[in-house]
Amino acid sequence: MDFCWPDEYLSFRDEVEAFIDEWRTPELSAEMREREGAPGPLTRSYFEALQAKGWMSMCWPEEMGGEGRDPMYQFILVETMEYWRMPYGNLTFTSVAPSIAQFGTDHQKEKYLPGIWKGERTFAIGYSEPNAGTDLAALRTKGEKVDGGWKVSGQKIWTSLAAHSTNIWLATRTDPEAKKHAGISVLIVDTHAPGVTIRPLKTMSGLTTYETFYDDVFVPDEDVLPPLNGGWPIIMHALNHERVGLSPTSNLARNYDVVLEHLRESDPEKLQDPIVRNRLAELRVDLNRHRALAIRNAVTIARGEIKPAEASMAKISGSELRYRITTLLMDILGRKAGLERGDERSIEDAYIQGNYLSSPILRFGGGTNEVQRSIIAMRHLGMTR
Amino acid sequence: MNPDFTETQTLLQTTIRKYLEEEVPFDRVREHEEKRAADTKLWDGMANQGWLGVSLPEAVGGGGAGLVEAGIFVHELARRAAVVPAVEVMASAIVLARHSDGDESELLDSLVQGNSVVVPAILEADDDFETNTASVNATSKLSGEKHFVDYPDFATHHLVSANGTEGLGLYIVERSDAGVSAEPLQNTGRTPQAIVRYASASARRVAGGEAVAALIDIARALTSAQILGCMEVALEMTVEYTNVRVQFGQPLAAFQAVQHHAADMCMHTESNRFLVYELLDNLENGRASSHDAALVKASVSRSIPFVTMQAHQLHGGQGLIEENDLYFFTIRGKDRALAWGTAEECLDRIMDEVDSPARWL
Repeated sequence: MDFCWPDEYLSFRDEVEAFIDEWRTPELSAEMREREGAPGPLTRSYFEALQAKGWMSMCWPEEMGGEGRDPMYQFILVETMEYWRMPYGNLTFTSVAPSIAQFGTDHQKEKYLPGIWKGERTFAIGYSEPNAGTDLAALRTKGEKVDGGWKVSGQKIWTSLAAHSTNIWLATRTDPEAKKHAGISVLIVDTHAPGVTIRPLKTMSGLTTYETFYDDVFVPDEDVLPPLNGGWPIIMHALNHERVGLSPTSNLARNYDVVLEHLRESDPEKLQDPIVRNRLAELRVDLNRHRALAIRNAVTIARGEIKPAEASMAKISGSELRYRITTLLMDILGRKAGLERGDERSIEDAYIQGNYLSSPILRFGGGTNEVQRSIIAMRHLGMTR
Repeated sequence: MNPDFTETQTLLQTTIRKYLEEEVPFDRVREHEEKRAADTKLWDGMANQGWLGVSLPEAVGGGGAGLVEAGIFVHELARRAAVVPAVEVMASAIVLARHSDGDESELLDSLVQGNSVVVPAILEADDDFETNTASVNATSKLSGEKHFVDYPDFATHHLVSANGTEGLGLYIVERSDAGVSAEPLQNTGRTPQAIVRYASASARRVAGGEAVAALIDIARALTSAQILGCMEVALEMTVEYTNVRVQFGQPLAAFQAVQHHAADMCMHTESNRFLVYELLDNLENGRASSHDAALVKASVSRSIPFVTMQAHQLHGGQGLIEENDLYFFTIRGKDRALAWGTAEECLDRIMDEVDSPARWL
């Protein structure tokens, strides 16, 4: 038992912070905001610099082109980036690229990986459907075998970034006769292929996501991830080290710090109010409880152990604390906290307001918290099924 | 960063747990509760095992271990609801060993043997850790009144905070001194507790004011480990009970509503487990402040009512009957949540730190 952070982790954090300090400009933030996470020119050069540091793949196994570094470095990277609200890898980097590297054919690796690294190729994830959400394996988008490839038809929802992406990573039912988990394949679909329609869906937090329609879209055989009908394990697969930072503490801690900074400058009297101070003290307790679960989960994963309940606990705690902390901080700030993004009077461009409105996504997304609680009960506590 | 016990620590934990399971049947705990008297047989047994000095220097016959090991010891005793002053004696002894002005080896040696028992006497009638009206005069006579003193009559010595000619400090007073009298209190935890009056009792100064603060920090950390023990057992008992109790043709544990309550209890237990041992390890290595101790004590003191009350919800009427062991952890947990600073007092303590950046690593 030793709760001290070793120097090598702390100096890595310092190194990441120095890099952030260099790149964190108002122009970059403005570009990211305007493009909702899709890379523009500044974001692209930022990602190139990040790539040059080797941090995007430092924890990948060596046989996949990584350095095989201790996954706790990934944890430190995620926490540090999240604190400063900097992007550090979207699903293209964290999910698609490693899956292609691990499961793809040589042809697929050559065709897609270099473009991903250069920031020229971005993928949207086509998993959820109107009738397949939490029960993802119930998906109905189907592929029909035709000469030289597959004819795809169906509908996906929450295909975020689709309009800004070159490809869609599409979960498709390629064997309608097989059991529901056994008949699914992953297809790489060109967003510009004939028959692909992308329709924007505006969400209440201000972000736009997309639904995508597939009307007899032709996908060549070479763009099907092998093995055919073996897509479910690929969908469920996540690189071990990517799960260390699944529920960071730092972005929540940052919300706290931003509010304190704001009050110190604009309303120092409020900060002296004992009731406000008591509420802040409570938030510090809550933040620490979440920090405990997040670190616990990271340490287990970094050791290569598999304890799904620990990941579930970190996921539930982070997502539920997010709405609690943003609500409380907004209450302390007052009416100004309700101003939307784009209103120049808002605090930190309404980041906390946006965080509040987007908090439901984290509770139901990525495996609903109800499913996570059942995982804890059955797999960790040993409660009867 | 390693939040898990070492092999030696695990061995200590399992040895103590096994010993207590064999030596302390819950019915014996009920007897001691009834009498509101310490389990002297258990105390002697633990002295023989060498556990009373686990975190004391080897020079006084101790085990030379740190606060984490002291935490494991009180954690396990709390899991058995044992009626012994584990936190009180551990905290006093560690402060005497590490913060006393002179050499206390004689007293500590006798404490490790189980012959001497030292308990702190800090709080006064106003229930405020800042207040110290007890005083020691030029002829070393201590006068004053201390409230909520745990195990005052089982103790051979009291470690009393008072103001003397050299300012605030800790004083050793012998329980047998004619000037010491105790008026028993009937507390929620059903453990021995009293108001103790000192009327010109002979006192020996052992440490200064900073030792009072150190005592409070260590006692908060160890009490948090006790509360963690209560939380853990309440959860384990709930899982066990709901797995066998059948209603509507299936075990209660198979109902999602029941599972989700248990998952919440589990999250409280696991997050506090990390925080409690992190605090003990950090205090041991000079990395923790009084704020950290207050924060963890606030956290466990908030969690224990939640966890035990959920346990009762899932046990139904069974959990209220004293033939069932669940109530031990409910009453002890709440008593300990009030001891050494309630959640509110501890939040109050960290309020002066809220301006510093929030911690995320």
